Amino acid sequence: MSEIRVILAIARNDFSYFFRTKWLMAILLSLNLSDMLVVALVYKNMMTIDYFFYFVPAVIVMGLFAASLDTGRRIWLALREGVIQYELSLPVSTHGLVIAYLLAGGAAALVYASSLMAIALIVLPAHAIWSAVMLLPFLFVLAMGLAGIAATLAAVASTHGEFFFAFQNVVQVALLTLSTVYYPMEVIQDYLPPALTAVVAANPLSLAAEALRQYTFAGAPIEPTFLLKILLASIPFTIVGAFAYYGALRKFQVQGKL
Amino acid sequence: MSNVIRLVWFDLKPELRPPIWIIMEWTVFLVQVSVYGAIISQLVTNPIIGDYSQFFAVGLVIMITFDMASHTGRHFVEHAHEGRLPYLLSLPISRSKLFLAIALQGGAELALMLAVPLTVTLVIIGNLSWVSVVACVLALFFLGFGVAGLMLGLSFIAFKSSDLYTAFVTGLSAVIIRFSTVLYPFIILPPQYASAAAFSPLTYGSDLVRFILGFDPSILLNPYFAAAILAALAASTLGLGLFLVQRLVEGVKSA
Repeated sequence: MSEIRVILAIARNDFSYFFRTKWLMAILLSLNLSDMLVVALVYKNMMTIDYFFYFVPAVIVMGLFAASLDTGRRIWLALREGVIQYELSLPVSTHGLVIAYLLAGGAAALVYASSLMAIALIVLPAHAIWSAVMLLPFLFVLAMGLAGIAATLAAVASTHGEFFFAFQNVVQVALLTLSTVYYPMEVIQDYLPPALTAVVAANPLSLAAEALRQYTFAGAPIEPTFLLKILLASIPFTIVGAFAYYGALRKFQVQGKL
Repeated sequence: MSNVIRLVWFDLKPELRPPIWIIMEWTVFLVQVSVYGAIISQLVTNPIIGDYSQFFAVGLVIMITFDMASHTGRHFVEHAHEGRLPYLLSLPISRSKLFLAIALQGGAELALMLAVPLTVTLVIIGNLSWVSVVACVLALFFLGFGVAGLMLGLSFIAFKSSDLYTAFVTGLSAVIIRFSTVLYPFIILPPQYASAAAFSPLTYGSDLVRFILGFDPSILLNPYFAAAILAALAASTLGLGLFLVQRLVEGVKSA
C-alpha cells in the first residue's frame, strides 16, 4: 500500500512537471491550436472533402501523441541530471518507478488531449459528446503505449541527448505520416503498397483518430471491437517501453551509469 | 579572418560528429515529400494551385530555412545561458568579428541542412536555369539571415528569463509558419488570416522563392515587393543583432 502511495507521488510530480514546462506548453498549444484553427480551415478551401471535419479530431490525437512523447524527454532529463539516483533511493521498487513514469506520461497526455478535445467540441459540432467521455480510458491506454515508445527511445539514447531528440523526431514523423491522421484510407490505398497500407491500418494513431471522427463527431454508435483494436495496438508499446526503461534502470543500478 | 573561421569551425564541429541532426533533417524531408506531400496533393483539387506536391516541397525548404535560422538565434541565447558567451566575449577578437562568426556558422549550418532538400526540390520542379537556382539560394540565405537576426534581436528577453524566451520564440515559430504562405497560397487564405500572413517574413520568402522557381505569378505576391521586404528584414535585424553584440559586456549571463 505504501509503495502505491510513493508511485502516485512520483507520478504526480512528473505530471505537474509536464504542465510547468512553459516552453513545452507554448510549443504544443501553438502547434495544435494553429493546426486546428488555421491549417484545417485553409486546407478545407483547397480540397473537395470537408478537411476541417476530417483534421480537427486528428489534431487531438496529434496532441496526445506529442504530450506522450514528452515522457521520454523527462526520463532522459532524469537520467542526465541525476534525478533518477534520488528516485532510486526512494522506498519504491524499480518496476514501481517505471509504472510511475508511464502513468504520469499517460495522464499528462490525456489531460492535455482533453483540453484540445474541449476546444474541438466548441469549433466542430459533435453528435455524441458522451462517446468522447467513453473513449477517454482507451485514449489513456494509448497514451501509456506512446509513452512506452518514448521511454524506449530515452533508454536507447541514454546519455546522448541529441540522439534521443533525433530518434524522437524520426519516430514522430514516421508514425504520423504512416497513419490516417492527415489523409483518408481510400487515398492512401491508391498510393502506398499493400504492406504499408496494413501498417497504416494497424497504427494506433489511425485507430484513435478514426474512433474520434466516427463516434464523437459523426455520432456513429461505438463498436466494442474497434475499441479492443485500440487496446491491442497500444498495449504492446507500453510493455516494450516498460521493459526497455526497466532494463536501463537495472543497468544504472548495477553500473552506476549508462 | 582565420580567427573567425576557427571560431566557426569550433562551433560547427560538434554538429558534425556525428551529423545526426543533418541526416535526421534530410530523412524527415524525404519522408514528408515522398509520402505526406504526395498523398495530400491527391486531395488538393483547387485548380489554381496546380501540382501541390511541388508547392509543398518548396514550403518544406522554407520551413527548414526558418528552423535553422531560428536555431542560430537560440544558439546564441543558449551560449549566454550556459556561460559560454562570456568566454567568447573575452577572446581577443572584435565584437563585429564575433558577430560575423555567429552569422557564418548559421549560414554554414543552413547550407548543410539544405543541401539535399533543395536539390530534391529542384529535381522535382525540373526545367530550371542556373540563374534561377542561384537566385533561389540567395533568396533562402536572405530569409535565413533575416530570421536569425530577428531571433538574435529577441534575445534581450532571455537576459530577463531564458525560459520565457524559449516559450515565446517556439510559440512564435509555429504561428509564423501557419500564418504565412508556406503551405498554401495567399489568395486561398481567409481575409482575417491573410492580414496576419502579411506580417510573416516567411510569406515573402516563400513567394519569392516560388516566383524564382517558375510558379504561376498570379497566386504569388509581387516578387519585387517580397525581395524588398526580405532585404529590409535582413539588414534591419542583422543590424539590431550587431548592435546587441556590441553592447554586451563580459560576465553577462541569461537568467
